[in-house]
Amino acid sequence: MTTVESFEPKIIGFLCNWCSYAGADKAGGMQLSYPPNVQIIRVMCSGRVDPQFVFSAFEKGADGVIILACHPGDCHYKEGNCRALQRHCMLNLMLEQLGIEKERCRLDYVSAGEGEKFSRVIGETVETVRALGPLRLDQ
Amino acid sequence: MKIGVYFCNCGSNIAEKISSAAVAEAASFFPDSPYVTIVDFICSEEGKLQFEDSLKAEQPDRVVVAACSPRDHEATFRSCLTNAGMNPYLMQVVNIREQIAWVTEHPGVATEKAIAAIRGAVCRVRLQQPLEKKQLEVCPDALVIGAGPAGMKAALSLAEAGRSVVLVERTPFIGGLPVRFEDLFPAMECAPCMLEPLMGDLLHGEHPGKIELMTMAELVEVTGFYGNFIAKIRRKPRHVSLHECIGCGECVEACPATTMNEFNSSASGRKAIDFAFTGVLPNAPFLMEEVCVRAQGVECRACKDACPMGEDVVDLDEESTVVERTIGSIILATGAGLYDASRVAGLGMGVLPDVYDAMQFERMLSSTGPTGGEIVTAAGAVPSSVAIIHCVGSLDEDHNPYCSGICCRYAFKFNHLVTAKLPGASITHYHRELVVPGKEAHMLLRHAAGNSSTTLKRYAAISDLAVTRDDSGTLHVCSRGEVTPVDMVVLCPAVIPAEGTDRLSALLDVSCDSFGFFRELHGRTDAAQSTLKGIYLAGACQEPMDIRSAMLEGMATAGHTLAGLQPGRTIEIEPIAAEVDENGCAGCRLCLSVCPYHAISFNSEQNISHVNAVLCHGCGTCVTACPAGAITGHGFTNEQIMAEIEGVLQ
Ligand SMILES: Cc1cc2nc3c(=O)[nH]c(=O)nc-3n(C[C@H](O)[C@H](O)[C@H](O)COP(=O)(O)OP(=O)(O)OC[C@H]3O[C@@H](n4cnc5c(N)ncnc54)[C@H](O)[C@@H]3O)c2cc1C
Ligand code: FES
Repeated sequence: MTTVESFEPKIIGFLCNWCSYAGADKAGGMQLSYPPNVQIIRVMCSGRVDPQFVFSAFEKGADGVIILACHPGDCHYKEGNCRALQRHCMLNLMLEQLGIEKERCRLDYVSAGEGEKFSRVIGETVETVRALGPLRLDQ
Repeated sequence: MKIGVYFCNCGSNIAEKISSAAVAEAASFFPDSPYVTIVDFICSEEGKLQFEDSLKAEQPDRVVVAACSPRDHEATFRSCLTNAGMNPYLMQVVNIREQIAWVTEHPGVATEKAIAAIRGAVCRVRLQQPLEKKQLEVCPDALVIGAGPAGMKAALSLAEAGRSVVLVERTPFIGGLPVRFEDLFPAMECAPCMLEPLMGDLLHGEHPGKIELMTMAELVEVTGFYGNFIAKIRRKPRHVSLHECIGCGECVEACPATTMNEFNSSASGRKAIDFAFTGVLPNAPFLMEEVCVRAQGVECRACKDACPMGEDVVDLDEESTVVERTIGSIILATGAGLYDASRVAGLGMGVLPDVYDAMQFERMLSSTGPTGGEIVTAAGAVPSSVAIIHCVGSLDEDHNPYCSGICCRYAFKFNHLVTAKLPGASITHYHRELVVPGKEAHMLLRHAAGNSSTTLKRYAAISDLAVTRDDSGTLHVCSRGEVTPVDMVVLCPAVIPAEGTDRLSALLDVSCDSFGFFRELHGRTDAAQSTLKGIYLAGACQEPMDIRSAMLEGMATAGHTLAGLQPGRTIEIEPIAAEVDENGCAGCRLCLSVCPYHAISFNSEQNISHVNAVLCHGCGTCVTACPAGAITGHGFTNEQIMAEIEGVLQ
């Protein structure tokens, strides 16, 4: 059995192209190392993140998901991040019904300049999911 | 399917952390066992050639490039595919530099992460389809709404570049707010001297055939989209032919009906047929139907008979018409208005005589205004003291929270003019903040501050001030117990959007901000574009600004039109757009409500939604919102994203 220490969670990160993906690039430019557990999937806007992507990630073996958007008011497409926020609230409820801790799916905001925040958010998310342990889907 | 993975070492940037040999070995277990080619610097001239040559030799069906961020070089690699004869959208870039090599400590771990990411890209790229940029014929001409400084500058710049412009102005004259002023900050330049050459150019300059000016006109309907708008414009009857009228004013003399003149802040009268005020352009009177005695059924043709230019100049039976024009872009330059100062309690606006708002005072200062430029009280006396109250309804949560930005400067312009016209008169400025930006305006402040008859007093809240009038007719400005008697009070109200901005916003579907000004696409990087493609914003319709900024914005909107719409050139439509599957659409219209660009329309006959690819920005919000899954987000389809998720997790 995996112990908490040895458990390396797999996490999928959905990043919008304009702010958060650029923020991740910024962290790269600053050579800030952070845990390798998050695989980044680029979408044009956080408003594109479909709840079915999140379910599919969990189903295919992810232990956690993080959705990163532009800060409120800064979405490149005006209000896509508001949709993302609404969907995230809905997702929280649905995940709980499925018996998945809602902490496994985080929504946060990272701007193009926030390389440090990006690496911090990734670090925190990895620790949160690590503490929750591997995701076991019963069905 | 043959897939090629191109792995860039980026010198040692990537190679140091990620083992290309391990990637190549792992790739043989990926779907379709892609071949792996290693390049040293794929973005260098040499690297690109190597990439293109290899593509030509291998002829893969799909390509994955594992290199730096797609934000750096996706476009570069796409053109390599095009050069090699491939569709550029059959490629996926994996960001193994910024997002793996540079941020992962251990080379072994970085390599593992890169392998998973590349696997995801391979799974995704297999589902990618060729996409084509569509080309669309466009109309290079523009419609400009509002003939103030911003609109005139836009129209003239476009005409100079050979474009046809339809310029729609709702008043009978051009020039906007400043034609009502005598002098202008910051340099106390004579307003007519500055504006007249510009207005003359517009009416009879080198490109008159290019500008179709419609005064007393308003936009009533717009259909279509960027590059191909159709606008319907209602022209109200002027009853005077602009082409034939010589502006002699004989008809005005003859007219028996009178009313108050709104263009002189109703401080003087006018005839039913009259000029807005002396010196306006176009230099022709207009007939106010509702004032004309014919409206009461009286038979009268005094104006027509008085005209020395013949029967055809005055047309008493002229009716309003609606004309239609095709244009490629729309420039909104509808400007600003003043907040109603009577809404700020206690200052006497509209209640006490000799309390004026800034526009009324501008007219009083103007030689074409009701007093011919004399500063006089309602009783006809020359005032010996004037109070100027700044920030009326600005910087005020109860009215308008923003700073109107121009008022302090015109208030000091007033100081200058009052000092010149009434030497020795005492002037008290009551201000909440003092805002005099720019390299020239500080001179006005210095002039006022150095003037021994001027006092500057700061107040904390407008409610600290009250204007009252005693029995002798003297006004008193009370500021926290301190009472200053004055003969005249001038209020500087907040600058607000022009009346009707809300109707125009609804008609065009362009958004307004919470203050009612038109909203910019981006406040800093795209301040001259509205939220709707092909509709641009110039001047004070977007926020309070001075003439200099309004003119510059007019030029900027002309620039957008010139850059985006070129005669004979088509516009390219990005293929990363949404498309509705007509068979899958259930007609729920959810997509219409989530689209930030009004790019989706609904065909109620067929009960289906349709995405206009010209207006779509490709955000994908509708794709996700569609409960029937009937919208495809080209370049980012559900299947492609799911395949990538599955691929990276294997
Ligand atoms: C009291 C006062 C004093 C000022 N003094 C100075 C000064 O000294 N120096 C300076 O630089 N700036 C001054 N300003 C600011 C200056 O007036 C503005 O910068 C300028 O008017 C902005 O130009 P504009 O073209 O954007 O708008 P406007 O001048 O407001 O012109 C807009 C035009 O659009 C027309 N319009 C509006 N709605 C419609 C519609 N729906 N359809 C058709 N037409 C429409 C209007 O009739 C008007 O002709 C002053 C402003 C005020 C209020
Ligand atoms: S583009 Fe970043 S959240 Fe919409």
